[in-house]
Amino acid sequence: MIRFRRAVLWTALIAVILPTVLSVHGAFLGADRAQAFFNSLPLAVYWLALTVLLIVGLVVFRRLLQIPSLLLMHLGCVLILLGGMWGSKAGHVMQRQLFGLDKIPKGRMMIREQVEDNRVIAADSNEPRQLPFSVRLKDFRMEYYKPGTLIVRSRTGQMWELPAEAGAQLSLGGTFGRISVQKVFENFKLRKEDGKTVPYDAPGGSNPALQVQIERPDGTSTAGYVFEQFSPIFTEPIDLDLSYRRVVRDYISDLEIVQNGEVAVAKEIEVNHPLHYDGYHFYQHSYGEDELGEYTVLLVVSDSGLNVVYGGYMMLIAGVAWHFWGRRALIAIKSRRMITPQAEQELPDTPERQE
Amino acid sequence: MEIKYTIQGLLIYTTIAVYLLAFAATAARQARAGRIAFVGGFLLATVSYAYRWYDVQHVPLQNLFEIFLFLGVACYPISWLCRRILRTGGQWADMLIGAIVLVPAGFAFDARPMQLPPALQSWLFAPHVAVYMLAYIFMAKAAVQAGEQLWRGRPALGREGIPTLYLFQDAPAGCQRDARPRWPRHDTSGRAGTLALPPEQATYELIAVGFPLLTLGLILGSWWGKLAWGDYWGWDPKELWSLASWLVYLGYFHWRYMFGKIHPRINSLWAITGIAAIIITVSWVNLSRLFPGLHSYAT
Repeated sequence: MIRFRRAVLWTALIAVILPTVLSVHGAFLGADRAQAFFNSLPLAVYWLALTVLLIVGLVVFRRLLQIPSLLLMHLGCVLILLGGMWGSKAGHVMQRQLFGLDKIPKGRMMIREQVEDNRVIAADSNEPRQLPFSVRLKDFRMEYYKPGTLIVRSRTGQMWELPAEAGAQLSLGGTFGRISVQKVFENFKLRKEDGKTVPYDAPGGSNPALQVQIERPDGTSTAGYVFEQFSPIFTEPIDLDLSYRRVVRDYISDLEIVQNGEVAVAKEIEVNHPLHYDGYHFYQHSYGEDELGEYTVLLVVSDSGLNVVYGGYMMLIAGVAWHFWGRRALIAIKSRRMITPQAEQELPDTPERQE
Repeated sequence: MEIKYTIQGLLIYTTIAVYLLAFAATAARQARAGRIAFVGGFLLATVSYAYRWYDVQHVPLQNLFEIFLFLGVACYPISWLCRRILRTGGQWADMLIGAIVLVPAGFAFDARPMQLPPALQSWLFAPHVAVYMLAYIFMAKAAVQAGEQLWRGRPALGREGIPTLYLFQDAPAGCQRDARPRWPRHDTSGRAGTLALPPEQATYELIAVGFPLLTLGLILGSWWGKLAWGDYWGWDPKELWSLASWLVYLGYFHWRYMFGKIHPRINSLWAITGIAAIIITVSWVNLSRLFPGLHSYAT
């Protein structure tokens, strides 16, 4: 039995070293190839063997069963491995073959505003598949940090930045004079008023722009418009490159889950706030615009095995924290209580005492 | 190299100078002056970090500039913890580390405030990064102790004349457990020696404190990844390096469970391998731009 235990311990050590080396190897492959590598058949066998090894360890080492923290740690690892395997692509195939559970492991949905759809392009096969319910996109919008930034560059490489808000101004030195922001447009459009072409901020749509004025050192000035998506337009040539930059704060899709003709769930999803329904998570993934208008791209991910993995996480961290902090702190506190004045006198001299 | 002629820069450079002063005073056996300067450096680092927080309007842990700024703050509390509770010594090294970690913030990294991209607007962002940074400091301190063990080749079971206390674990076979459990009240010099634990034991104590933090960082990152990107594990290069770091320390514990202190040099090598993996995780993968992934923004 002792030999067997020793063999299990050595195997455990090798089982720890091997994924360490493989992780380093995987880091050089890049995420996509690493994912394929760690999901390959030999590695799948390894994950299974590791799970079995952990279970064998729990059986042959009574210490692992007797000390709750060690039990939690090792059992947590078993759950993480089992949950990971159950939720993998191979796990989904197994679910279908053994239990008839036909779930899409991962895929993408492209939905336009006010359109309802249940088609998912599966990530593994690029084949369209269908969800047992539909998703309707009520609205998609992007929110930006305010104010944006007007970036000014000279031909010689100097760069200035000023907030893109009406009234903001900045001195560009003796060569270029002063620049100021006159007006901010969310959706810049032009229209005729009394025979003159004038800019205005049209409701809806998006064509962000700034009305900018440059006062030269010689007292003359010029005005123009700097766009986020197009080149600037000035009434006369300028020696500066101007650009308008806004930073996206969030992408938001207002979704409704429709099942049997009724809205089952409605939620605005954004990055870090997915929607969960009927075994799937829906994530704000991307967006786009074409001749038919704006659309959002949702990432659809099956939740198979997720709760098992999370359970494993909780057991692992509880076990590790209790084993290395809790138990040790308790022992330390008990030891501290055992200090008596007499014992304290017998402590080795402190540096102060030595001095 | 870029010198920052700003209030932020001034605070960083002053903190570096005060930490170096603390180190010099301690090296000159002016332990009390060294401690006072160390506290002063910590307060300055805290002001510098708070100023950055006010400036960017979010927890400043977004990029390497802010992370090194955070490390400059965290050095003192961890050093205090190690000195007063873990008895691992090495406070002089902490003063130097405090100065060293602020050098990249002061001279190498861009300090321009940046707005948080959507993925970083999560309550998990700050704890994930902070917990990792704290873990890294403990592991770095463990590596210093492991280096001392390797360099001096001191016996693992204690120095001559210095009792080895087995407060937290059973004494190895052949060594009697200290019959009189004690708790050190003072280890104020911070220099190796006096009441500090022997390096091998100190390495273990530090890794034992850092490992749960490392585990928590990994789990928080995984949870956040699930919420933000849909996968709790994305096989991203940085994820794999952080897993490799975690596995090295896992291997250390298994090895030490198997052999105890029989091979102190090999125990130390595990700890040094761990910090090497951490250094690669923190710097190389971020800076090299060779392996684009989910953590590429953290440069």
